[in-house]
Amino acid sequence: MKKLLAVLLALTLVLSMSAVAFAAEDGKITIWTWDPNFNIASMKIGADMYHVDHPDVEIEIQEVQSEDIETAVAQAAVAGDLSTLPDIMLCQDNSFQKMVINYPEVYTDITDKYDFEGFGEAKAAYSTVEGRHYGIPFDAGTVVAAYRTDYLAEAGYTVADLTDITWTEFAEKAKEIKEKTGKPVFCTQAGSGDWILIMIQSCGASMFTEEGAVNLKDNEAIKAAITVYADLVKQGIILETNSWDEMIGTLANGSVCGTFNGCWILGSIMATADQSGKWDITNLPSLEGIEGATHYSNNGGSSWAITQGTDVDLALDFMQLYRNVDFYNAILPTTSAIATFAPAKEAPNYTAVNEFMGSPVFATIVEYGMSVPSNITGAYYYDARNAMATAITNYINGADLDSELAQAEDTVNFAMGF
Amino acid sequence: MSNSEQTKKPGMTMERRRSLTGWLFLLPGSVLIVWMSFYPMVRAFLVSLMRGKPTALEYSEPLWRNYQYMFKDKVFLTSLKNTFTYLIIQVPVMLVLALIFASLLNQKDLKLKGLFRTCIFLPCATALVSYSIVFRTLFAYDGFINAILVKANLLKEPVNWLNDPTGAKAVIILALIWRWTGYNMVFYLSSMQSIDYSIYEAARIDGASPFTQLTKITMPLLKPIILVTAIMSTNGTLQLYDESVALTNGGPANASITMSHYIYNTTFVTSPNFGYAAAMSFMILIMVAILSAIQMKVGDKR
Repeated sequence: MKKLLAVLLALTLVLSMSAVAFAAEDGKITIWTWDPNFNIASMKIGADMYHVDHPDVEIEIQEVQSEDIETAVAQAAVAGDLSTLPDIMLCQDNSFQKMVINYPEVYTDITDKYDFEGFGEAKAAYSTVEGRHYGIPFDAGTVVAAYRTDYLAEAGYTVADLTDITWTEFAEKAKEIKEKTGKPVFCTQAGSGDWILIMIQSCGASMFTEEGAVNLKDNEAIKAAITVYADLVKQGIILETNSWDEMIGTLANGSVCGTFNGCWILGSIMATADQSGKWDITNLPSLEGIEGATHYSNNGGSSWAITQGTDVDLALDFMQLYRNVDFYNAILPTTSAIATFAPAKEAPNYTAVNEFMGSPVFATIVEYGMSVPSNITGAYYYDARNAMATAITNYINGADLDSELAQAEDTVNFAMGF
Repeated sequence: MSNSEQTKKPGMTMERRRSLTGWLFLLPGSVLIVWMSFYPMVRAFLVSLMRGKPTALEYSEPLWRNYQYMFKDKVFLTSLKNTFTYLIIQVPVMLVLALIFASLLNQKDLKLKGLFRTCIFLPCATALVSYSIVFRTLFAYDGFINAILVKANLLKEPVNWLNDPTGAKAVIILALIWRWTGYNMVFYLSSMQSIDYSIYEAARIDGASPFTQLTKITMPLLKPIILVTAIMSTNGTLQLYDESVALTNGGPANASITMSHYIYNTTFVTSPNFGYAAAMSFMILIMVAILSAIQMKVGDKR
């Protein structure tokens, strides 16, 4: 027994030492990212492409969830030891500025080291702080309205009827669709505030002013968006689910007529093979009476950050992939990760007709993406988002919108006042 | 004189050596506790007096600023209210249920005792997050509970349990009771087994009903262990986190968020504020201390 224990102890010691030796080896890139079917799959394809010219660089891709990456960054920064972090890590666009502003010692300023020509401006803005770039843009979160064409036909509509319309027109048509099909038109996760953020960004509005002050209670775009949303929820046109998986479930079960989300939702739609040929996408309804209202918006998406103190040149050399049209062309069929690098839209896989959707949806989405107005996130994005989501829920349950928004603004100001 | 001194001296060293050995044995544990537990506590307290960016914390002006802010923070006050709602409803219900189950399972002539005990204790063996997700699925809009209630004509149309402020809280309380009743029951059961059965027999001969037996014999004899479970449950409920995150995600509109969940949000979800988060955790510590003191005062009459 004693012997066994000693052997085990020695073994762990040797193993942990070899792990240390491994990490110190040159020519190795460690990458943290999440979602095996999306980010990880595309990084694997990228690694294979890089290995063609650089066979001796070892690339290790580790699956780490987005919130765990943020926690690990916080811990490493506070402990003052960045050696626990990988060379390259993915970061949600909405969190990017928060992370860079709070943990500047972790993120490498790559403004002069990487060429940002060709990336969508609104996209690159997410990982820019005070005019300096800290992130390499990856996937688009361009919003699409996707509909079940068979359900629409049942109600006597086509996707063309729902293209380039306003929310008021949408509400009228959706009411009829709901009556005839007996199904809610869209589905969303309750209390997430996603829809409101999509709607206000489609007008180029934000929860913050240019100077970074919170802007909720006197924000006409937010008020209009919340009113529209609450009305649709009350009429049962939008079904609110409690969790993300429940929402995906409604799509897979066909219990709603469509979805309204970042284009990455297509990955989940296309996962249900029996619905092939029954879907099509279009742009979003626009908010009436709001200046700068468009039919295009953004939801989600992420960018790559490079950790300070690592072999930055090697990492950047690898990341040249993200300026390579062939790479975007290669990852599209398996991941449906859509580029924010404009030249990619000419790639063959983008211009080809997608079998599932029946049209070249990806080229359409890249085109939509070019018209998305940019918005302001900042360090307090999630503070504002949580406060606003609370206001929305309370408003739907009968509270007064103005006082709820004023209270939400107070909550954010409170957090900013520290 | 010298003789007695000589006999005394080795005795002193012997005693000293013994106590020294004792201290030596205590040393590794004490050092570890001080290093891993007390030192972080002191640091956390210092952090709770600070403000600023996570890597550039400075002492705030005035020092107790973070504590002052807490009483103006509406979300914190909501989370405090929620946590106490859970505490006030869940702990008594759970402890009474545990006591009832324990006395039922302590019956001498009960068959399949082992099976029942395992069944009631089993929920404790499930991971916090997984059972939360199971409850979330059960109470989903198109979930099992709604399906049953609608089919049985108890409800006209499905209720969106988790999207209703009261419903969400009720589901969390229900989940907590399911998860922890068995755990507390085991404590009661083990100490009930040390109560001599002849006491019950004597009581029954005197004509005491099962209820009288429970309140007049079992409960007084179990008092110390009831006190322990009450303190543990209070402590556990005040630090509730997993259920709030995994079951309801604090929603709708913070109606079910707990203090620990809010502390996590302030540290890792929104723009990080370590000082304020540390101050809030010390608030929980103070509340646990006060509540435990009250319970000891009320429960322990020795």
